[in-house]
Amino acid sequence: MKPAPFEYHRPTTVAEATDLLAEHGDAELLAGNQSLGIVMANRLATPDHLIDLNTVDDLAFVEEREESVAIGAMTRHRTIERSDLLTEKLPMLPEAAEQIAGPSVRNRGTLGGSIGEADPAGNYPAALVALDATLEIVSADEEREVPVSDYFIAYMFTDLAEDELIAAADIPTDPFPPERTGMAFLELKPAAQTWPTVSAATAVRVDDPDADEPVVEEARLALANAADVPLRVEDAEAAVEGESLSEDALEAVAEAATAAADPEDEMHADSEFKVEVAGEYARRSLAASYDRATNIETDFDAPTDH
Amino acid sequence: MSTHEITLTVNDTEEELTVESRTLLVHALRDQLGYTGPKIGCETSKCGACTVTLDGDAVKACTVLAVQTDGSEVTTVEGLADGDDLDPIQESFHEEHALQCGYCTPGMVMTTRQLLEDDPDPDAEEIRHQLKGNICRCTGYQNIVNAVESAADKTEGAAESTDDAEAESPPAKADGGEARSDDETPHAEDDGR
Ligand SMILES: Cc1cc2nc3c(=O)[nH]c(=O)nc-3n(C[C@H](O)[C@H](O)[C@H](O)COP(=O)(O)OP(=O)(O)OC[C@H]3O[C@@H](n4cnc5c(N)ncnc54)[C@H](O)[C@@H]3O)c2cc1C
Ligand code: FES
Ligand code: FES
Repeated sequence: MKPAPFEYHRPTTVAEATDLLAEHGDAELLAGNQSLGIVMANRLATPDHLIDLNTVDDLAFVEEREESVAIGAMTRHRTIERSDLLTEKLPMLPEAAEQIAGPSVRNRGTLGGSIGEADPAGNYPAALVALDATLEIVSADEEREVPVSDYFIAYMFTDLAEDELIAAADIPTDPFPPERTGMAFLELKPAAQTWPTVSAATAVRVDDPDADEPVVEEARLALANAADVPLRVEDAEAAVEGESLSEDALEAVAEAATAAADPEDEMHADSEFKVEVAGEYARRSLAASYDRATNIETDFDAPTDH
Repeated sequence: MSTHEITLTVNDTEEELTVESRTLLVHALRDQLGYTGPKIGCETSKCGACTVTLDGDAVKACTVLAVQTDGSEVTTVEGLADGDDLDPIQESFHEEHALQCGYCTPGMVMTTRQLLEDDPDPDAEEIRHQLKGNICRCTGYQNIVNAVESAADKTEGAAESTDDAEAESPPAKADGGEARSDDETPHAEDDGR
């Protein structure tokens, strides 16, 4: 037997799930089990109770709202990868989803599990920080909304209380009209079974995609695995806003990302290397977003395909 | 210790069994029900040796709890061949020498099944992308990619539904004699790990 024994609970509604959380102190929520299963197999986690969210149908949805798209916590990577709505409105998310592991992990893993786990190397944490998402969090006696920027506090430490669960992420779409927006999720990954060394999530909105020199009205950049939390780099955003994208501006992006990055050493990549990758991938990812936002030929170094 | 009575359908056969909460699907299949097609490699969702189909989706059976599959349909590699008639994917793996020791093969075949359902005519890059979660330590992958391409050629057009594919593509030659059937148990010693 790999995991230590535990009691298994199968709620069918959010209220049942939060009641179980309130009732049992040492409980873990079970989503896709693609992270929890591994720590439990290694007995790094030995919860007394598992509360399975896979039977809570109300948590699995992708829904268009007035000025946003909401994604339920139990939405699987595969659904995000293939959602037409997301591909049209928030293409960063399908691009982030399709690069996670292989298809059988993506058939199980969920948005909520990834946010719950809060690994700073995770794809969605960086994407949601770049997109200024709000998390909808529920407990037995309260519902609250938390901006993702306040949610990730320190390494795998979040604003979520023991008796709470993440119900959904609400992601604003009004800043990013598809016809003049480009988004990119670019990652460096040594092998499919590993997490990325560094990823760069970017979005760019231009004034006029058909202009000779489209001006960047708004830019977003968040880095994964470049610090103990997903890292938004506002200095880099400011460096490209208000003008047409130039090599000089991209150089400033790389410098700002490099200055902001403060990663830990890892076995396959020391912190110095990760800082360098953060700068280079920030640059490439923003150039790709600009390229996708505009209808002109740009001649910045083409981003490497994943 | 908490146990659960569950019923699941494996390769069209209804199975009833009692599992602990912590019993992994791959252990239930192999140790309790005798479906040794799914192999155990990493037990942490990395290698893909344990891949089976759960209600139509390829999953790694080492990170699904058996109790979660109550009422579900599971297909293991044993469910693909019809007697000695291999299904087109198995046949292509055989013809293209896409295996050496064969340990990764059940998982590769089950992942290929999903791949061809999603995209009946994938190019080599797509095949490599979709097989990323399956590790082979012998072949160097090239023949596996060739086998998937050849299986795609055989099943194209019929791959919308696996039932069609199975019904429509009788194997060209029925010798199949020395073909691996993948359901033998050369690795029984990994029990209890
Ligand atoms: C081989 C492999 C490669 C991977 N590569 C990547 C990668 O490149 N990038 C990446 O981002 N991820 C990667 N992952 C992780 C994958 O995305 C996981 O699926 C994900 O991180 C966890 O989601 P899950 O649904 O499996 O959650 P689980 O493993 O079930 O849960 C993870 C944690 O979140 C908690 N949780 C679950 N749901 C909720 C909720 N609704 N509210 C609050 N807490 C909750 C659980 O209690 C648990 O602590 C990889 C995984 C594998 C196996
Ligand atoms: S044994 Fe399940 S993925 Fe390796
Ligand atoms: S054939 Fe030996 S591991 Fe793939």
